[in-house]
Amino acid sequence: MSDSRRRSRGNQEEPGGSTNGVGGQNRPERSGDVGDEDDIGGGPSGISQEDDDPSRRREIRSKYRDLINEVQQNREDMLNPANNKLTDVLEEANKLFANVRQAREAALDAQLLVLATDLGKEKASQLHAEGSSFDPSAFAEHLLSFMDLNRLEDESGTDGNLGGYLPGGAWLKLAKRAENCFRTAPAFHYMLGSFLAEPPPPRQRVERQRRVPSREEKRIMPTQLKKMEESHQEATEKEVERILGCLQRYFKDDSEEPISYYEFVIDPNSFSRTVENIFHMSFLIRDGLARMYLENGLPYIAPVEEGEIQPGGAAIRHQCVISISQESWREIIDAFDIKQALIPPP
Amino acid sequence: MSQRKKATSASQNKTQRRSQLLLEEDEDANFSQITSSQAQRARENFTSDQIDHKVAEVVQFILIKDQKKIPIRRADIGKHVIKDYKHIYAEVMNRVCRTFEQVFGLKLVEIDLKQHIYILINKLEPIRGQTVSMHPGNPKMGLLFVILSVIFMKGGTIKENLVWNTLKKLRLDPGEKHDEFGDVKKVVTEEFVRQKYLEYGKIPHTEPVEYEFRWGLRAEKEVSKLKLLEFVGELFDQDPQNWTQQFREASTSGTSSQST
Repeated sequence: MSDSRRRSRGNQEEPGGSTNGVGGQNRPERSGDVGDEDDIGGGPSGISQEDDDPSRRREIRSKYRDLINEVQQNREDMLNPANNKLTDVLEEANKLFANVRQAREAALDAQLLVLATDLGKEKASQLHAEGSSFDPSAFAEHLLSFMDLNRLEDESGTDGNLGGYLPGGAWLKLAKRAENCFRTAPAFHYMLGSFLAEPPPPRQRVERQRRVPSREEKRIMPTQLKKMEESHQEATEKEVERILGCLQRYFKDDSEEPISYYEFVIDPNSFSRTVENIFHMSFLIRDGLARMYLENGLPYIAPVEEGEIQPGGAAIRHQCVISISQESWREIIDAFDIKQALIPPP
Repeated sequence: MSQRKKATSASQNKTQRRSQLLLEEDEDANFSQITSSQAQRARENFTSDQIDHKVAEVVQFILIKDQKKIPIRRADIGKHVIKDYKHIYAEVMNRVCRTFEQVFGLKLVEIDLKQHIYILINKLEPIRGQTVSMHPGNPKMGLLFVILSVIFMKGGTIKENLVWNTLKKLRLDPGEKHDEFGDVKKVVTEEFVRQKYLEYGKIPHTEPVEYEFRWGLRAEKEVSKLKLLEFVGELFDQDPQNWTQQFREASTSGTSSQST
């Protein structure tokens, strides 16, 4: 009953919605009195103050939206032939439409109408179906039983509250039974036992491997540094001792012949070795193992004998800075006529 | 400037794509335009050994391609295997079909006569109550069965919401990742669709857009509606003949699919 009434009104409503500006005459079934409407029809916009009340329009729209939502959410319920919800919704919409004055609200009404007709169509198709109807919810329940649903928690009956869980091979069980409905060409499989292709081993292991060496590296770093310093020091000490050995040997060979400092430290083949010799020589002098003296304005060196070492450093110490450049190095080589390094390269 | 450039490049792309499509169509058309005399002449160019070899290659190609159940296009067979043998395509394919039927117990079916798409189906009827199954089974077939049955029982077309609601009742939430199926929505709307078990499309004139499901071309060939109805009846503990309409459709389609 209400369905047919609704539909006829809907037909009128659509042109009314699209030609909003023309005037009120097209608007169907107004609750307000008609005389009033004719007066307003001549106004600039064709809309009265009362009709344009934003809060009232908002209220109508919100009610329409609620109704549309309700229909969309409870769609399956409304489709059930055993209830009258669709009629209720349409009656509710009819009441709302009485206050609709403008296109925006009318558009919502039209949207609801589309939904309602759609539902109506589906309801009708259910009626036409011959034999038993098919209820997907019942189907799902039967499937769950077939798949051995574990109904542990008691189901409170509402659809949203899904109790119980399916055992591991549930879907496989269904698949195996359903297989005979399919004439599927078999896929390749392993003949001797199953080798389930699993995703590659978990990534965790990779992460762990990556983390471990980084920690070890951190642990190694300080010891490595220490060693390097040690070895460097050792190398210097060794070199100093070696030079002392050289000096003592030359001195023993001929203790009368003074050893010229420059002749001793200069390596005519390498400037850098010369600089190193000078550097190492300074240790010997600092430690009091060699002494340096001037004769005729030229520096000479000699080892200090064991007994000569004066504890407490009573001897007067002098400090001097020796500088040497590549140029002076060459000059010295020429002046002293140095052919060979007295300190052999290591 | 840049806009115009973009536009031209886009149109170029389009024309390129179109020409590619045309090429493929051309290639495809080549197959159908071959006359019998041409085939006769081409036949003389190859020894029977060569043809045997080509037949074996096509069989292997189709078997491998079928593993993922994605339909095989004639254009692909031509491009990857047949190549220079296209003048005797018909003969090669005839022998391929014979090999599948006689050696493998399979049947090569052209599901789309316009685009020339093939699938393989089992020629042998499955045995009911088969206790020892030869293969490990695929749980996805269970999922597919549920969707196909709901579609069939509901008259051939259903809105996607009905599918999602039913699956939710079966503890499958399309929005969540499932242990066995992964992304359920993706499996249903992409994998099954690509395999041509399902068709998934927009319902015209809906706002917001709604989608519906139907049986795909593969399902029509591969799935026995009668057996499906029998199983559904078993689940409901009902005589399948009670669903008069469905039963009528199942019994007629069953014979027609057998004859094809």
